[in-house]
Amino acid sequence: MASPYLIYSLIFFLFPLLWAVYLAFTNWNLIAPDYEMVGLRNFIEAFFSESVRAAFLVTYKFMLMFVPIVIAGSLFLALIIHSLPRLKGLFSVGYFLPYLASGVASAIVVKGVLSYNSPFNAFLRRYLGLDIDWLGSPILAPLIIALMMAWKFMGYYALLFLSGLESIPKEVYEAAEMDGAVGWKRFWYVTLPMLYPSFYTVTILAVGLMFGIFTEPYVLTGGGPDYSTHTWQLEIYNQAFQKLNAGYGTTVAIINSVVTFVSILVFRKVLEKWGARHGWE
Amino acid sequence: MQDMVGSKKIKTMLLYVLAFVVLIIMVFPYIYMVLSSLAPWEQVDRKIIPTKLTLRSYEWLFAGGEDVVPRPWLRAFFNSILVTLSSTALMLVTAVLVGYSLAKLKFKGSRFINNVILFQMFYPAIILLIPLFLIVRYSGMYDTYWAMILPKAVNLWAIFMYTNFFRSIPDELIEAAKMDGAGQLTIITRIVLPMSKSITTIIFLFLFMERWVELLWDMLVVRNEKMLTLNVLLAQMFGPYGAYPGPMYAASVLLTLPILILFIIFSKNFKEGMQFVLK
Repeated sequence: MASPYLIYSLIFFLFPLLWAVYLAFTNWNLIAPDYEMVGLRNFIEAFFSESVRAAFLVTYKFMLMFVPIVIAGSLFLALIIHSLPRLKGLFSVGYFLPYLASGVASAIVVKGVLSYNSPFNAFLRRYLGLDIDWLGSPILAPLIIALMMAWKFMGYYALLFLSGLESIPKEVYEAAEMDGAVGWKRFWYVTLPMLYPSFYTVTILAVGLMFGIFTEPYVLTGGGPDYSTHTWQLEIYNQAFQKLNAGYGTTVAIINSVVTFVSILVFRKVLEKWGARHGWE
Repeated sequence: MQDMVGSKKIKTMLLYVLAFVVLIIMVFPYIYMVLSSLAPWEQVDRKIIPTKLTLRSYEWLFAGGEDVVPRPWLRAFFNSILVTLSSTALMLVTAVLVGYSLAKLKFKGSRFINNVILFQMFYPAIILLIPLFLIVRYSGMYDTYWAMILPKAVNLWAIFMYTNFFRSIPDELIEAAKMDGAGQLTIITRIVLPMSKSITTIIFLFLFMERWVELLWDMLVVRNEKMLTLNVLLAQMFGPYGAYPGPMYAASVLLTLPILILFIIFSKNFKEGMQFVLK
């Protein structure tokens, strides 16, 4: 029963994978019947390319903004749901709804809310004297996209924290209370360390997500201003399908997957070491 | 004592108020989207709550303006449903079959397949984008529905979930059915699937949601305007319709509302179902 699956994997996975490796060493432009093997030229070119370097750095910048926001936000949501005596299911579903949003539709809302005459900007101008070009700023534009993604994924990650919170045994809290840990102290010294597995999962998921951003910057900023929202996927899309450099685009995709793989590995190791040092599990 | 009970009640009430306020903030973009799609045009993005409601944006969306040709929004909507449903159905069927084989059938090479799946799961899919596009182009699938369905007929996460779930079904049940002369397919449809209703609902929802908002792939493999999905059409009109925010909100509602309704209908045991998925 699984052999059709193997055939499918052969066609849609193994074959394209090998083809990708081959393409990465060519200068094919998607149209011309002829192309040449160019050795490592694509890789060298990518290494010195400004847009590839931008994609590389922008991803970590997104991480720096997105990961803390989404962790704080989803933990907050999880704590609310957890402390409610009733209607937990209702609020879990409610907080999860943003996950259903298409990046295109949320880009339309964000563009509207941040447009020059919007109530939000009118308020800022009138009462605070602030006139901000949100999407034209290389610092604010990525922050806005990070916030959009945080909004989308918060309710999802909250469910991970929630199942972490629910798995903390009552006895642990009782023992902590005997030792005088209540309120904030209890949260800081008991709840948070016990949530380490959830933190670990959410962080790795959130970090991995940052390597695959496409829709939001494609629709909203086109990677700009000044490459400040230029992600890996945008770079690959631009190279392969706008400039028709299929060979070079594949090279960038391979570099991207190596960078992703190594980054996630490093994050895992660091988090595991950090957890082990403090005796969390 | 009385006081403590009273203050606890107030605390609980404040908690509900907080939970509710946060809920409103979380769904505010949806509310804003719906209100803006119904607002008179001079109030779109000028007022949060419009002073009166009108269907002009929807009429314009489907009929077009004086110098703007209407786009096939309804057609795009049905394209999205067709593509998403077929793709999701195939992903479910393949996941059930492969998951069942891996969990319950002992056959040569099952470990090998397991490893293939694990490898594929941890491999960044982006590397396949360009060669997959070329396969679609050379096989003649370009600009057909097949291009959006066939390369998205298998989902590794779904296989993984079903394999784990089926492992928890006792072997005795399946052995007993076999003694009664049931074939593998009968066992799957009569015994295994009825036991996996709640996990199937959750997997279906996730696959459907993710497929519904796919942009990059659907944008690459289809050019014919009659075959575009709603999400792609909306993305394409983002710039050209920039001066018509009202209709853009109307189109966003068309894109978002069906999936919200579908989700809310199926979300009855959402929290319990998620517990398994998140494990």
